[in-house]
Amino acid sequence: MRFLIQMITVIILAFLLELFLPWWSIALAALAAGVAVRSNANFLAGFLGIAILWLAKAWLIDSSAATPLVEKVARIFTLPNKSLLFLVMALLGGLVGGFAAFTGSLLKKKS
Amino acid sequence: MKVAKVSFSALITISLIYLLNSSWVIGGNRLPPLGKFLDPFHGFWQNMEPANKTGEQELSIPGLKAKVTVVYDSILIPHIFAQNDEDLYLAQGYVTAMHRLWQMEFQTHAAAGRVSEITGPGKNGLILNFDRGQRRLGMSFGAEHVLKAVMSDPLSRLMTEKYSEGINQYIQSLNYDDLPFEYKLLDYDPEPWAPIKCALLLKNMAQTLDMGDKDIEMTNALKLFGKDMVDILYPDMEPVGDPIVDNPGGWKFNPVKIDSIPMALPDELIHTKKLPGEDPTTGSNNWAVSGSKTVTGSPMLCGDPHLNLSLPSIWYAVQLNAPGINAMGASLPGAPAIIIGFNDSIAWSVTNAQRDLVDWYAIKYQQSNRDNYLLDEKWIPTKKQIEKFKVRGESVFYDTVIYTTWGPVTYDRNYHAEDNLKDYAFRWLAHDESNEFITFYLLNRGKNHDDYMQALNHFSAPAQNFVFASVSGDVAMRIQGKYPVRRKDEGKFVLDGSKSSMGWKAFIPNEQNVMYKNPARGFVSSANQYPVDATYPYYVTATHFEAYRNRRINQVLGESNKIDVAYLMKLQNDNYNLKAAESLPVFLSYVDSTSLNAEEKQAYQKLKAWDYYNNVNSEGASYYEAWWDNLMPLLWDEMNNPNTTLYTPTTFNTIHLIKTKPDFNFFDVQKTSEKETAKEVIQQAFKLGVAEVVKWKKDHTSETVDWADYKDSYVGHLLRIDPLSIHVKHGGNHDIVNANSKTHGPSWRMIVSLEKSGVKCWATYPGGQSGNPGSEHYADMLNKWVNGQYYSILFMHSPTDDAGKIFYSTQLNASSK
Repeated sequence: MRFLIQMITVIILAFLLELFLPWWSIALAALAAGVAVRSNANFLAGFLGIAILWLAKAWLIDSSAATPLVEKVARIFTLPNKSLLFLVMALLGGLVGGFAAFTGSLLKKKS
Repeated sequence: MKVAKVSFSALITISLIYLLNSSWVIGGNRLPPLGKFLDPFHGFWQNMEPANKTGEQELSIPGLKAKVTVVYDSILIPHIFAQNDEDLYLAQGYVTAMHRLWQMEFQTHAAAGRVSEITGPGKNGLILNFDRGQRRLGMSFGAEHVLKAVMSDPLSRLMTEKYSEGINQYIQSLNYDDLPFEYKLLDYDPEPWAPIKCALLLKNMAQTLDMGDKDIEMTNALKLFGKDMVDILYPDMEPVGDPIVDNPGGWKFNPVKIDSIPMALPDELIHTKKLPGEDPTTGSNNWAVSGSKTVTGSPMLCGDPHLNLSLPSIWYAVQLNAPGINAMGASLPGAPAIIIGFNDSIAWSVTNAQRDLVDWYAIKYQQSNRDNYLLDEKWIPTKKQIEKFKVRGESVFYDTVIYTTWGPVTYDRNYHAEDNLKDYAFRWLAHDESNEFITFYLLNRGKNHDDYMQALNHFSAPAQNFVFASVSGDVAMRIQGKYPVRRKDEGKFVLDGSKSSMGWKAFIPNEQNVMYKNPARGFVSSANQYPVDATYPYYVTATHFEAYRNRRINQVLGESNKIDVAYLMKLQNDNYNLKAAESLPVFLSYVDSTSLNAEEKQAYQKLKAWDYYNNVNSEGASYYEAWWDNLMPLLWDEMNNPNTTLYTPTTFNTIHLIKTKPDFNFFDVQKTSEKETAKEVIQQAFKLGVAEVVKWKKDHTSETVDWADYKDSYVGHLLRIDPLSIHVKHGGNHDIVNANSKTHGPSWRMIVSLEKSGVKCWATYPGGQSGNPGSEHYADMLNKWVNGQYYSILFMHSPTDDAGKIFYSTQLNASSK
């Protein structure tokens, strides 16, 4: 339960921060969620939170897009299809979110 | 312990962010900052536009005097309604930047030799080498001269300053989310725009169209083959007929005379490997038909410039409306006004005027420090310009370019030093002061033939064949540019830079340029052919003249007196291969049909049955073009000399020589001991061509070899990124009216009917209005272009008429700063 709350906190905070700040604000969101809502799987909560948020946002944009630009970007990166580009994106965002949430949880322990 | 753990975890997070927020070069390729680029809230996803965008938008733009309304139609053509000239050009700059900012900046960077600032030096330093070449050709040197002229005239100053201001207003409104895709991919930011960039864009066009020369190649040919042979291989005027203006005996003026001392011919072999020149297949078609030959009784005009097809598209269609102007047509992103188009009274278009406007002067320095050079028996100081290249990811590179009275020394011991004994200074007409913006200012507002003539008086470079038609019933052609008065053979070979008498002494006065109005045949046309009949009193020379498109166009226009839009659309898309019609029967007669293998027999039959049309599904066209492409290098193997640069004779002259001198010495293939004539070489090329097609069929597991598949035309992205380029199935080829070769072709097809009840226009181009690969308008016009179809262009008179055809509108409001 705490895990779910923590993950959802990551999603909501990251979504709000990204409205005003650059991409790295996802780390701030995950860090804060790590401090505020510590669970027994902080890294995973940060990782999944960001990965889910980014996948959802990217999917929303792609589904209403006029052109297959995602496909083209995948080919620029020599990836065989766009699903892999979605995965790479989720993985990279997730790693930042995961480590930030983990760092946050360690901060909490200290205090 | 805990502190260490926290620090370690925080360090990983921060390092990860740093890694993903920076651009890295991996395996020679620059990757964008991956976190920043892939983030769906700010990264490239934000460049993905939704389909069918409609609605209204209001923007406040500092610098506007009054309200400007911009409405967009279904293909995203902006119709700009302003209340004064200042606002009109500011809005044009703003709106063009909205759709084409990256392209505008990249093209001017390329012109100025600054691409390596964005991309790094490239593989084997290729991009830095390109940049150095641009500086050494004096591209910025020419642009600065243009700028000087532009700034000294209040009209052109207003146009370029306001246009630049509009672009800068747009740039200032951007944050990372809104940056065009290519900035995100290459990870850099736009810099402020300035009027010099408008001038650089004109030089970019001039380089594409007007920098052709073969002086070094001709000098080498002279040394290796002798003058008589040079005249056979490279005649000044080929026996084609059909010049642009055929007006024998009509040149009733006193031509400018310069001294008639015969040119001293150079005697040297030059090893310098030249920078690649213009593509010889670049060209264009235009024509205008009098009302006497049209169904409506009104004149009709067609424009069809052929260029290296690219994405974002070369042209940006726009309508400009303000008091005194209601013009529409194709603009060049980065330059104010409409370049090819029409208004309520007139229409105009351009093709390139082939003319030699380049010379190379051998420089003799006093000492190796190159401080002084010899001119008229005196040592004159050189001017050394230090060029700075801020190569991305590397230390700054410096190059010293030496300027002489002739221009910059392009090739010397530091650049293309294959021949380090020789220093050549580059004289190019487009280095000179000129102000072409005035021409377009006046043309956009022109009412009649007099206005057109007045407008063209301001046009120097790149020399163009300006076709004209008016609602009042005139059609005209004028081959406008600034042309040096040349003695016979002057400009064909390299010149002695130590004598000022070798320079251009005088220019042909504007009123003596080649032109005519309302000729008896009822139409005017141009397709880069020889400009004028032999009675014109000035010497004309160029690298090459077109020989086929022009005759086909004139034939088709001559055949009908009931010309309508459909007829002209068909002509612009005409795939008839006149070159094949004139050469294939001879080629086939040389093939011994009894000694062919099965594949060759099949090819022979298909060629015999071919109707000479390079249509999409034509197999005959594939066999013919494969044959031709193998024939040229075999016939002219002498021109592929590893020690020096030579020029391959033109297509027309090659066919002419095959027909008239089949045992011409040059046709012998050098590497064989036998003595070949045209016949043996044609047979050999046939077998090679068929073998190539057989291999193609095997590689593509195809039973047939359709011409469009074999040709495989594509519209390439400016950065040569394949996924952003588009392959198309289209007929035609170079030397054909529908001049779509693999990479070049019709870049803006326009047909204008100048009816008294209202001017109508049909147009299309191979791309779209938006430069954003994430927009539905990136290449939405391409399909119609491929199929030879056109958009009926919406030409408005107020922002509220044709409201049903408006998809989107933007209100630009004046705001205090």
